[in-house]
Amino acid sequence: MANLLASLVSSADTLQAYGRVLEATQNNVSNASTPGYAKQSIDLYALPFDAQGGTTGGVRAGALRSARNEYAEQAVRHQSTGLGYQQQLADSLTVLQSNFDISGNQGIPQALNSLLQSFSAWGASPDDPSARQTLLQRADALAQAFNQTANSVSSAARDTERQVGETVDQINQLVGQLQGYNHLVLQGNKNDAGLSARIHSALEQLSSLADIQAVFIDDGSVSLTIGGQAPLLIGDQQYPISAALYAPADPPATNPLGTGQMRLQASDGSDIANAGGQLGALVKLRNEVMTSLIGDRYQTGDLNLMAKQFADRVNQLLTEGNTTAGQPGVPIFQYNPDDPTSIASAIKVDTSVTPDQLAAVSVGPPTVSNGVPLALSALAVPTQDADRINGFSYSQFYGQVAGQVGGLLNDSKNNAEVQQSLLTQAKDLRQQYQGVSLDEEATTLMQFQRAYQANAKYLSVLDQLTQTAIDILKT
Amino acid sequence: MPLATVVEQLAAARLDLDRAGELLLSPSPEALDRCSSVLEAAGRRLTECQPRLTEQAGDPETLAEAWRLRRSFRRTEHLLQGAGDFYCNWISLRGAMTGGYTSAGDPAPVLHGHRISLQG
Repeated sequence: MANLLASLVSSADTLQAYGRVLEATQNNVSNASTPGYAKQSIDLYALPFDAQGGTTGGVRAGALRSARNEYAEQAVRHQSTGLGYQQQLADSLTVLQSNFDISGNQGIPQALNSLLQSFSAWGASPDDPSARQTLLQRADALAQAFNQTANSVSSAARDTERQVGETVDQINQLVGQLQGYNHLVLQGNKNDAGLSARIHSALEQLSSLADIQAVFIDDGSVSLTIGGQAPLLIGDQQYPISAALYAPADPPATNPLGTGQMRLQASDGSDIANAGGQLGALVKLRNEVMTSLIGDRYQTGDLNLMAKQFADRVNQLLTEGNTTAGQPGVPIFQYNPDDPTSIASAIKVDTSVTPDQLAAVSVGPPTVSNGVPLALSALAVPTQDADRINGFSYSQFYGQVAGQVGGLLNDSKNNAEVQQSLLTQAKDLRQQYQGVSLDEEATTLMQFQRAYQANAKYLSVLDQLTQTAIDILKT
Repeated sequence: MPLATVVEQLAAARLDLDRAGELLLSPSPEALDRCSSVLEAAGRRLTECQPRLTEQAGDPETLAEAWRLRRSFRRTEHLLQGAGDFYCNWISLRGAMTGGYTSAGDPAPVLHGHRISLQG
C-alpha cells in the first residue's frame, strides 16, 4: 500500500515537473516577438529508483534558466552605440553641408566670383558709373551670402544644443524606467522573464543614445555608468545627468563675446568627457565642427576669418587709392571688430558709400588710373601673400572649408554603413550563442581562431593589393 | 587588356569582398572557412589584373571602381575585426573564468589540453 502511495506521489511530482516545462515553453512561444526576450528552460533531473529501498524514481524540475548570454548582449550594445554615433553625425552633417555649396552656382562661392569679376570689369572701365554700381551691389551680395551661411550654421548649432538637451532627457527617462525595473527585481522578481526582457530592451535603446556600461549584480539589479566613469544607476538610486552651455573662466577667452561650449555633467557636477552614441556625436558637432566654422570663446571660426580678411584687404586697397576727382578712397565693408565671432553673420556694405567715392587711381608712384581695380582683380589669382588667406586664394580657402564638411559627411556615411553591418553581425552572434555558456564551447573557439587567422592573412594581402591599385590608378 | 576588362576584374573582386562581408554577418567558424576561399578568389583576380593597371592610370572610371573596391574591403575588414573581437574577448573571459589572471593583470591563457576536435 505504501509503495502504491509512493508511486502515485512520484507520478504526481513528475506531472508537475512536466507542467512547469510546458509553462516555460508556452511562455517562450507567447513572447517570441517581445523585444529583449530570451528563451527560458527548466532542467529536469532523474530521481533514484530502488523498489526495495522504497525510492520510486521519477523526475524533478530544476531551476528556471534563461538562455540570455550577457556577453553577447553587451557586444550588441557596444555596436549599437557605434551606430548611434555615426548615424547622428551623418544626419546632422547632411543638414550642415547643405549650407556649403561647392558647385559655385550659389552662396559664398557664387557671390565671391561675381564680385571678383566686377573688379575686373571696373578695371577695364574705371570711370564707368555702372561698373562701380555693379561692384557695390555684388559686394553687398557677398556680405549677405556670408550672413546667410553663418546664420544657418548658428541656427544648426542652436538646434544641436536643443537636441543635446532632448537626448539627455531621453537618457534620464530611460534610466528612470530601469530604476523602476531594478526596484521590482530587488523585491524578488529576479527570474521574471518579462521583466528581464524590458530591462534589456531599455538597455538597447539607451546604448544607441550614449556609451552606457551595464553591470548585472548578483541580486539581479543592473548598475549603469556613462562614458566609463559617471554613475547613472546603482540599485534603485538614479543619478541624472545634465547638459548646459558653459563659459569657463580659465583659460581666459580670446573672444569673450563668443558662445560657450556644450558641457555634459554627472549628478555630482563632474564632466562627462566621452558620452559616445548619439549624445557624443551631437556634442562633438556642436563643440568642434560648428565652432570651427563660426567660432566660440577660443577660436574665430573659418567663416569669420575669411569674411574679415577679405573685407580688410578690399577696404585697404580702396582706401590706399584716390578717386578720379582726387579725393581719398573710402572703405565699403563694415563689421564689429570687438566681436570676431560675429563678423561673417553681421558683415555689411556701408550704404552711405556712393559709386563715385570708389577709388580707382593708385597713387603710386607711378600713378595708375585703374591701379586699384587691377589690385582688387588680383585677389582672384593672388601673387602676393597679402592677397592670400593661410596661403590660399579666397576661393581655395572656401573650397577647403566646404571640403572638410563634405569629407566629414562622407566618412560618417561610410562609417554608419559599416556600423550597421557590425550591429547586424553582433545581433546574429547573440542569436547564435543564446544559451551557450561562456566557459564551454572550447571547440568553437579553437575552430574560430584557426579560421580567423587564415582570413586575416588574406585580408592583409588584399589590403596591399587594393591600395596598390589605387596608387597606380591615381597617377 | 581592354578598359572594360580591368574595370570588370576590379568589380568582380569587389563582389567577392561583398560576398565575404555577407558571410561575416553570421561569423560561425564554418562561415569563416567559406569566407577564406572567397577572399582567396578576390586576391587572385587582383593579382591577375595588377600588371595591366598602369595602362589605365588616370582613367576616372577605373579609379572610381578601385575606390568602390577599397570601400568594400574596409567593410569586410571591419566585419572580420568585429567577429575577431567577439571571439577574442570570449577567450579572454574564459581564461579569466577558468584560470584567473596572470601576474601582469591579463586574463590567464586558455588551455585546450585533453580535447579532440573532429571536423568533416
